[in-house]
Parts: sequence; structure tokens; C-alpha cells
Amino acid sequence: MIALPIAQAAVPRGIGLLEWLGDLDTWLGPDGILSSGLDTVTLCAAVMGTGILLALPPAALLAHLRRGELTATALVTLGRAVPTFAVAALLVPVALRRGWGFEPWPIFLALLLLALPPLYLNTYTAIRHVDQGTVDAARAMGFGERSILFRVEFALAISVVFTGIRVAAVQVVATEPIRAFLGGDGLGRYVRDGLGQNNETLIIGGALLIAALAATTSLVVTLLERVTVPHGVRRLRLQTASRRGSIG
Amino acid sequence: MRITIGALLVAMVAAAAVLVAGGGDDDGDAEGPTIRIRGQDFSESVTIAEVYGQYLSARGYDVSILTPAGFRTEAIEALRNDQVDLIIDYIGGELTALAPDAGIDAADADAIIATIGPVHEAEGATVLDYSPAIDGDAFVVRGDSEAQTISDVAALGYVFGAAAACFERPQCFLGYTDPGVYGIEFSDTVTIEFGPLLGEALAAGEVDAVVWNTTAPQIGVQGFRVLEDDQGLHPAQNIAPIISSAVLEAWGPGLRDALNELSALITTDDLVAWNIETDLELRESDDVAREWLEQKGLLAQ
Repeated sequence: MIALPIAQAAVPRGIGLLEWLGDLDTWLGPDGILSSGLDTVTLCAAVMGTGILLALPPAALLAHLRRGELTATALVTLGRAVPTFAVAALLVPVALRRGWGFEPWPIFLALLLLALPPLYLNTYTAIRHVDQGTVDAARAMGFGERSILFRVEFALAISVVFTGIRVAAVQVVATEPIRAFLGGDGLGRYVRDGLGQNNETLIIGGALLIAALAATTSLVVTLLERVTVPHGVRRLRLQTASRRGSIG
Repeated sequence: MRITIGALLVAMVAAAAVLVAGGGDDDGDAEGPTIRIRGQDFSESVTIAEVYGQYLSARGYDVSILTPAGFRTEAIEALRNDQVDLIIDYIGGELTALAPDAGIDAADADAIIATIGPVHEAEGATVLDYSPAIDGDAFVVRGDSEAQTISDVAALGYVFGAAAACFERPQCFLGYTDPGVYGIEFSDTVTIEFGPLLGEALAAGEVDAVVWNTTAPQIGVQGFRVLEDDQGLHPAQNIAPIISSAVLEAWGPGLRDALNELSALITTDDLVAWNIETDLELRESDDVAREWLEQKGLLAQ
């Protein structure tokens, strides 16, 4: 308990950015970058996991059945117009009155609303636009509907699905710091404390950390895509690309 | 294109000249530059700016009430850079901003004025008489707390909530936890945006104590209590007008007297009443200000 004031002691105002980032305590302390970053990553992973479970199956199924295209697009467009911060800020008092506390429900729901549109739309579009000839050929070869969806359509569409995951993940990671303004912590705490304490080093340092995490997220999803895309599909794409005389 | 811009410029200069000349002719006895007032971006400060602005306007001063923006840092900067001419600020906050290391009794309003006065004077601004109206820091707990003073909280293992700014200030978190002052051992701390969320968190039991301002209307409405600052940690937070010295001189001693008279009339209860009207009844600050001035007979010439 005695350690608390020291842990909470403010970062000196005149400190340089390198000096702050170079201090081991900045990284390892109880409110350090590593533990704050872990908070952020945990919440974002939970949001993305839930979002993928909620958005991908219905999107894939509806696209396979060629149903609900207009409804889906309309809902998604509407979803994109929802201001994340306003949603979270409106949910906080509700959560508090119900005894759920500041975290994690308000920010979790707000971020989930942010993640669902790109996940849903990319999956739907990807599967909807798989070459109809390929699907018919598979059907003629005796593929069942389930096999067509998983082994033909989803396999061919997977890199576009991953684009949706990457876009959603980067948005979620870059937006998660608003949590620090709503009674939580996470990486946004440095920007919040910097604003409140008039400390530019904290604001800039915090913003850099968030940007770095968002960039890392994008990279990680890309690597994940490399590992996941079926070998045959990747070879197919490379062949198509070289035949067109361009890469990518 | 060039001709058009040239013509426009000529027209604008001409219009400005007409305006300036017209302004000079219209004024009765007193003459001087427009007094630009800007409140800080929270309702109490906005209402205070409206009260001072409408009051001066009714007395024949040329006043422009600007759209509220920023907080103390921006207000002081604007005053120094000739963006505004009059701000009304809380003197304890001014002390923290301008002379944080001054070793004076921060609970003594006169000592604060003696410290911040010369700092402003050197930058071309004058601190006028402070008002009896105080919006100070308040250590707020739920109504059922067994504590009466802040010292009583020391052994209760409370969870503490406050805005980010509190955690670096000697008159706030650092003072509460300093063994030489209150020596409170909080079981946890939460950073909460300053405003109604503090009350929501306190009511929900997420935190057991928050630092709010004494005039927050929710304190009375939600049944919270302000604990006594028995160690005298909180600085005196009377409101005081700070005006550009050049503008003050241009208008003559009448302006100084007028502002001092108004400051003397405003009380802490007035601040609470204004905040209830703007924050809980959601009325406009300028209406609230006008009504108060009318009640006090300050709008009649």
C-alpha cells in the first residue's frame, strides 16, 4: 500500500520523450507500458474474438445462400455511422447504475459495434464474389453445400476475409484508448494523464505507443493470413498474378 | 481576380474604419476599446463570464463575450497574447499554474493575490479584488460514510477517484497520501474525467471518495457529503477578475470600481444556484446570468 503513491506519482513535466521511454520503470512499473499494453491487447483480442464469432458465420452463410445483400449493406452502413466514443460514454452511467462497474462492458460493446461492420461486410462480399463457375463446377463434382461453403468459397475468399479482420483489428486497437477517458486504463492512460497534467511528453509518447501497437496489429494479422491461406489458393493467386504480369 | 481581392480589401478597410468611427461616436461618457471576455469551457465559468459581460455591457462598456473555449492554461495564454482582455478565474488554480512552488499558505486568499498579482502585472494584466464566492476543491464521500474530516479517511482503506490532474498536485492526491499531511492509504485509485461521472462512480460504489468542486450541484442532490479539510490542504479558490492592464487604463478607474462592486456581490450560494440551473435544469448560461443580474437590479441603468 505504501508503494501506491510512488506508483501513481506523476511523470515530471519537463521530461524528454527519450528519457521517459528509456526509463525502465516506465515499462515495468505497476502502471507501466507493459501492463497497460497487456490490458489493451487483452480487451482488443476479446473484442475481435467475439466479433469474428458473431459476424463471420452469418455473413458466410447469407452470402452462400445469396440472401440479404441489401439488408446487410444497409445495416453495415448504419453501423459505421455509430460514434464509438458516444456509445461508450452513454453506456458508462448505465453500467455504473447496474453495478457492472466502469469496465469492461461499456467499452467492450462500443468497440464490438466498431468491429462488426468491416468483419461482416468483407466476409459477405468476399464469398458473394467467388466465381460462380467454380462453385457450379464443385457442385457438379458432387460437393455438398457445406463442402462448397467451407472448401471452395471460404478457401477462395479467405484473404479478403482477412482484410476485413485486419481493418477491424487496427480500428479497434486505435480506438481502444478512449477507455482511459471512461474510468479505465490501458495504453490510453498516458494520453489522458498528459492532457490532464499538461505534459506533452506523455501525450506524444502515449500516441506513439498506440500507433505502434496498431501497426504491429496490422502486421500480425497479415502474418496470420500467410499461415492460414491454403497452399493451393496461394499458388493459384501467384499464377494468376504472374499471368497478368503484376504482383499483388 | 487580383482586382477583386484588391477591391474587397479596400471595402473591408473602409468598413472597419466606419465601424471604428461609429463605435467612438456612439459611446456616451466613457470611451475605450472593446472588452473581450471569454469563459472557460465548463458551465460555471461560462455563466460567470456572462454575468460579468452583461453587467459591464449594461453599464455602457463596449463588451464582446466570446465563445467559451479551453481551460486555465488557454485563458492565461489568451490574455497574454491579446486574444482576450478579461478572464475570471479561481485564484488557487492561478497559484498552482503560475507559482506552484511558492511556499505560501495556499488557504490564505490575500497571500495568493500577493503572489499571483506581480506575475500577472509583469505580463501586462491586473488582478482585481477577489469575490467572496468560492468554488474550491471538495473531498466528497457518500452520505453513509463514517468520516467527518479528511483525516478520518486515513484508516478506512477507501478507493479514491479523481481527474488526472489531481494525481500530480501537492494540494490534491500527493497531499492526501503524504504522511506529513493526511497520510491516507487508499486501497486503489481510479482516474475519472472531471464532471458528473465522478458522482455516478461514487453512487455506484466504484469509488468511496472523489475530488470534486464545492459548487457541484450533484453533491446535494445525490446525498453526498463534503468532508472538512482539517489540515488546510485545499487552496483558497475565490473567483477574481483578471484584466488587461492596457484596457483597464484606457477605460479609467470607473471600470475597476464597477468590476470590484460586482465581484463583492457574488456569493458561493449564487455559484451553486447557477450550476443547478445550467447543469441540472439544462438552462442556457446567458439566461441564467441575465435573471440573476435583473434580480440584483444590476441591469437597470
